[in-house]
Amino acid sequence: MTAHIEIKDVVKRFGAATVIDHLSLSIDPNEFMVFLGPSGCGKSTLLRMIAGLESVDEGTISINGARIDNLPPGKRDIAMVFQSYALYPHMTVADNMAFGLRNIGVAADIISARVAEAGRMLEIGHLLERKPGQLSGGQRQRVAIGRAIVKEPKAFLFDEPLSNLDAALRVRTRVELAQLRHRVKSTMIFVTHDQIEAMTLADRIVVMNNRKIEQIGTPMEIYSRPATRFVATFVGSPTMNFVPVRVAGGETGGATVILGDGTHVKTAIPTMKLKAGNFTLGIRAEAVRVAIDGQGVTSGTVDVLERLGDRTLIYTKLKDGSVVVAEDIGYSRVAVNDTVSLSIDGSRVHLFDASDRAWHCEEGLDG
Amino acid sequence: MSNARSTSIMGRESGDRVVLLLVIALALVMVAPVLWVIGLSLKHNAELMANTNSVFYPPYTITNYINILGTSSVFRWILNSLIVSGGLTIFTLVLASLAGYGFARLNFPGRDILFIIVLLGLAVPEQAVLIARHQIFGMLKLHNSYQGLILPGLSAPFGVFLMTQYFRAIPKELDEAALLDNASRFTIFWKVLLPLTVPAQATLGIFTFLWSWNDYLWPLISGTKKEMFTLTVGMASTQTNFAQSEGLGFLMAQAVFAGAPILILYLFFQKYIVTAVSGAAVR
Repeated sequence: MTAHIEIKDVVKRFGAATVIDHLSLSIDPNEFMVFLGPSGCGKSTLLRMIAGLESVDEGTISINGARIDNLPPGKRDIAMVFQSYALYPHMTVADNMAFGLRNIGVAADIISARVAEAGRMLEIGHLLERKPGQLSGGQRQRVAIGRAIVKEPKAFLFDEPLSNLDAALRVRTRVELAQLRHRVKSTMIFVTHDQIEAMTLADRIVVMNNRKIEQIGTPMEIYSRPATRFVATFVGSPTMNFVPVRVAGGETGGATVILGDGTHVKTAIPTMKLKAGNFTLGIRAEAVRVAIDGQGVTSGTVDVLERLGDRTLIYTKLKDGSVVVAEDIGYSRVAVNDTVSLSIDGSRVHLFDASDRAWHCEEGLDG
Repeated sequence: MSNARSTSIMGRESGDRVVLLLVIALALVMVAPVLWVIGLSLKHNAELMANTNSVFYPPYTITNYINILGTSSVFRWILNSLIVSGGLTIFTLVLASLAGYGFARLNFPGRDILFIIVLLGLAVPEQAVLIARHQIFGMLKLHNSYQGLILPGLSAPFGVFLMTQYFRAIPKELDEAALLDNASRFTIFWKVLLPLTVPAQATLGIFTFLWSWNDYLWPLISGTKKEMFTLTVGMASTQTNFAQSEGLGFLMAQAVFAGAPILILYLFFQKYIVTAVSGAAVR
């Protein structure tokens, strides 16, 4: 059983403060949807509204066409994994998992079978008689997921479930979650502020900021065609470079932008809808390369080097003072204070106008 | 460097020894009167009348204890104390838990004001309401009854405060997880939250029981009939003008007898009592 979740024009207020402002969203059956955004953007509140832990002030939430926003949490056929796991400390692992099933009167033999199956699936079968206090963080996390799985809900809600784990365990658990989602066919909503979790797990990502949705799209859409400057800033590491530019008018095909130091960069952004004037050029570090033999379009002085092993990030100050992060190979020979020539891949740049609306490259246009 | 370290360890060890000696001395000061009482209870009254130093040498006797079992009302008083203290403890735990849950978890109009009013109860000394309470209980014909001895103790603002704070400290995610697990409000209270408050319940239960067991003023006023005396009142009633000279051994045997249930309680709940007292000290 899976869920098609429809959120229509929902509003949530805490006193005078509006924390969700007329938000609409549709989540497909079996989809892994990630709500991504900074702290306070409303993503957890939205998740809690779906769970029934927060009331909906306006709008509706439906599952498979039936309204659920007026139902108590236990009647929504939804399971949730909390950031703090929220395991019952005085109950054993098995009792933690069985508690919800007992409350709805499921037969004891069915409960035992489901608990055993979840224990096997999550490799916590040997921990069933322990209490949460006797488990490591990762084991508790699995129990929390197991408690959700045994209910066989229409939808799973995850509220930043990896944020309490250490870095290594977080990566491992992330991979396990990705595997789990293919075994447990169900709609899943995952809240995080970690873009890597979002990019690696999601079918689609909802990027939220300041109570509203900035963009909904697949991870690669979000990464390669960010709808707003916020999305471009929030997704991707290092953060996208932003350089003030001027767009020369009267062209056909791809627009040419002029950097502050007078450098002309030919892009693959169609000029048709662009008006000549001032824009912000967005370029990811991997689209700015150190050019051999001074063949680049511009140059700058190296401020900082970040050697990440497989690649090197080079923080370069251009002649007009703007800082651009460029990427080079792991064994880059560049040193701090060097003057380097930079090439810019015009087919992978973005332009943002004064209202932060984004303009992207199109295939087939010369960059 | 190593010399400095060994000097510091030696200094710490000698410091520990001083502390240990102080603790032993203090323990002796505490236990000496108890041993004195036990010793006196094992001597004939007549012998003690001549000289209480006879406690240091035989003969010893259990006559005083046999006299208690045969002639005294002390069993009735112990029973009364058990009923009153036990009843008061149980009802206090039930009421304080429910009230604490309500104040910590439920949203209802006037909750915060009501909580302040309950806390104000901590500032009202028992003596201030004693006469009014005596009159009301008289009108309701509650004197010389177990209800009359138990009811006043049920207004326990400290218990409500303690349980409220304890419930507040339990993460709300547990309630929410239980809500998603289809649990009713009562199930959440009974099966999820209440078991987590056992340490607070133990603290409150022990303090309530000990306070009630040792309470003297209200039982003295409310329980005027001998068969409704609690142990404290009953013990005091036996102390006639010459009891301390003519019946000292018997009196001490009664005291030992009266203290025994508390001792047993302590042996059973030693861990919780130590935690409760040290916790209260830290707070």
